[in-house]
Amino acid sequence: MRSLLLAACCLLAPIALSACTDAVEPNQLAFVMGTAVDRAEGGLIEISDQIVIPSQLSGPFAGGGAGDAKSSVVVSATGRDVFEASEKIQRKMSRRLMTSHRILIAISEAFFKQDDAGKLFDKLGRDPANNMRDLTLVVRGDSAKELLMLKHPLERLTSIAAEKELHINGLTRFSSRQLILEHDAGGLRPLLPVLKVEKLKSDGKAPEPFASLYGFAVLNKQLRIQGILDEEESAAAGWMSGKVAYHGMTIPGKNGQGLLSFRLVHLKRKIRTKDCGESKCAELEVKAQAYLVENTTSLDMSEIRSMTETERYLNEEIQRNFQRTVKKIQRWGPDIFGIGEHLHRHDPYWWRSRQGDWDERFKTLDVTVRTDVRLISIGSSGGNMN
Amino acid sequence: MAGLVKQILQGNAAILADGEASALVAQVQAYEQRSIQEPLKESTLRGSKEGFVENIRANQSLIRRRIVHADLKMEAFTIGEYTQTEVALVYMQGLADGEVLASVREKLRGIELKGVIDSAYIEEWIENNSFSLFSQIQNTERPDIVSASLLQGKIALLTDGTPFALVLPVTLWSGLQSADDYFERFVFVLLTRFIRYVMTFISFALPAIYVALTTFHPEMVPSNLMISIATARENSPFPTVIEVFLMMFVFDGLQEAGVHLPNQLGPVVSIIGALVIGQAAVEAGIISTPIIIVISLTGVAAYTIPRYSATLPFRLLRYILLFITGLLGFVGFAYGIIFLLIHLVMLESFGTPYLSPLAPFDGRRIKDLFVRYPFWMRGGKNQKGRQS
Repeated sequence: MRSLLLAACCLLAPIALSACTDAVEPNQLAFVMGTAVDRAEGGLIEISDQIVIPSQLSGPFAGGGAGDAKSSVVVSATGRDVFEASEKIQRKMSRRLMTSHRILIAISEAFFKQDDAGKLFDKLGRDPANNMRDLTLVVRGDSAKELLMLKHPLERLTSIAAEKELHINGLTRFSSRQLILEHDAGGLRPLLPVLKVEKLKSDGKAPEPFASLYGFAVLNKQLRIQGILDEEESAAAGWMSGKVAYHGMTIPGKNGQGLLSFRLVHLKRKIRTKDCGESKCAELEVKAQAYLVENTTSLDMSEIRSMTETERYLNEEIQRNFQRTVKKIQRWGPDIFGIGEHLHRHDPYWWRSRQGDWDERFKTLDVTVRTDVRLISIGSSGGNMN
Repeated sequence: MAGLVKQILQGNAAILADGEASALVAQVQAYEQRSIQEPLKESTLRGSKEGFVENIRANQSLIRRRIVHADLKMEAFTIGEYTQTEVALVYMQGLADGEVLASVREKLRGIELKGVIDSAYIEEWIENNSFSLFSQIQNTERPDIVSASLLQGKIALLTDGTPFALVLPVTLWSGLQSADDYFERFVFVLLTRFIRYVMTFISFALPAIYVALTTFHPEMVPSNLMISIATARENSPFPTVIEVFLMMFVFDGLQEAGVHLPNQLGPVVSIIGALVIGQAAVEAGIISTPIIIVISLTGVAAYTIPRYSATLPFRLLRYILLFITGLLGFVGFAYGIIFLLIHLVMLESFGTPYLSPLAPFDGRRIKDLFVRYPFWMRGGKNQKGRQS
């Protein structure tokens, strides 16, 4: 009996004195939802963490409404590397920084242009405290920190807003894990979404700054930005690199009159390679199902003939656009489509001797785009509206 | 002569004749007896509404009415120095295992008690491991459960003076199975059993998992949920473990109060409980809302276990797991579960492994574990060490 009591006391006592375990209460944590990386004076890195303030969220146990006043705070510090800067932030905080719930890593365009961003991601891959599910994206302009400080009309935090914006637009494969994989892969170069801060006018008030998706940045092996694609090219590049799930497209009518709009779903792409003399030839096949959603041309879509014609025309248009985008990216150099990776897997002996200068080879590689887009619906009203 | 006195004390009439060395004894007792009622503790939606009563003769007839066969055997034992209680060992000859029968007989003969007030006295005396949390003998008030068990080759003990019959051997699963499982169509039983097993796990593990997740591994909780929890716990004065412990303690306290109160006072306890813990504690900021949710879910989960005595080990386990998890996080939780499994695997009920037929695995008998297969698809004779 005495030993039983003793055992019970032994079990109870450490709980009362539990300060020495690694348990940490939620109110001792500062949840970092977004991190911005900027350049600072003297080659230093400036890290800004967006931290939620739980006590400012509305309701005792509620999710909070849109754009709560001061529901987050942005704390910045500079350092020689990510950890040093983060430690400086930690010293300013009363709570332990918790980066596992981070949604967003925003890096300014200026940083990518001038610093070796590869070093930045070493910390992400090495430190087990990162969940690597967070989105990585580029902020157009000089300051990524600015993005975190913006208010969003719908969402509580800009980080959440950015994540949802990408997700709802079918851009799902841009996690930092994906970026690290691409950085390490021999025959695949990263493609990152770019956000731009612009003014949005809402119900008569003064226009407020607002972050929205601008396009994609093409990065090279050293994670330097080689170029930023515009809207149309971005869609093409995203589709061809297999990172976009759906897409809307508007093309002018065949005879230049009116417009045709399609909703494209089930976006797929396939790479095929074959020997072409000394080098290799690559073929990128893009597949999708198209729904016609708007038709302001004079075509009567209830006729089979104009349906097949439209389908053929859509395929031609996509083929032309995409081929042009491929050419542009080839001029820049980085292989964002993963053709090198495909060759690596299908022809490892060929790849081994050529992996060193893949970026140069990619520039002159013969890449043809083939399209297989099926028009599966002409919408609920068959003929033209009169 | 001493035997004769004993018989007379039991209410029998003795007929003595001049010049005869032996006497005739006739049972002429008449007892005051409770009428047969529906067993409230083990009510089912469908099936017999009869329950055992205190009179062993009535109970025996309830079983005999259900199993009309010469193989149904009842052996009488008298136990208790002062109470001279009659205990009947009931089994089906040919179905019940001879070895188990022999060991039960031997144990019954070895009982040295001053008195047997309830079958629980006998249960504690004959069970294999009295220090285990889990009971190795099932008690029931339902003659249909006893009859079904007998037909499965199990052994029942009826005790005079109590409506609770003992059934042995049992496994962990028999505590989680309800008589209704056999009365409803088997497809729906799949769902109800699944719910019951999951709820059983919740009933002892959820508070520990909550503590481990929120205080040791907050990165494992979805971001929005974690921030909501953090918001709710912003001003909590106690650590999460202590808070959960307090709530569990209060919950069990209310439950205990409810059991002992007369029916008229029951609502008072529930009103005080709902107001005190449901509202006032949260509004005062002593207890946070997520913990109320966790504890009420845990409490409700325990009630999905059909037999009251089967819920008890899980109610105790809850505390043990909470303490060890509060100390070590998920490592502690894993320790707790591992030790629980070690104990369950080692535990035996009269030669039957407690986790049988899952461990040791028995493909034929597992048909009554997760899915209750239709009766015509079941097979396998139960014997020592092999029970479903």
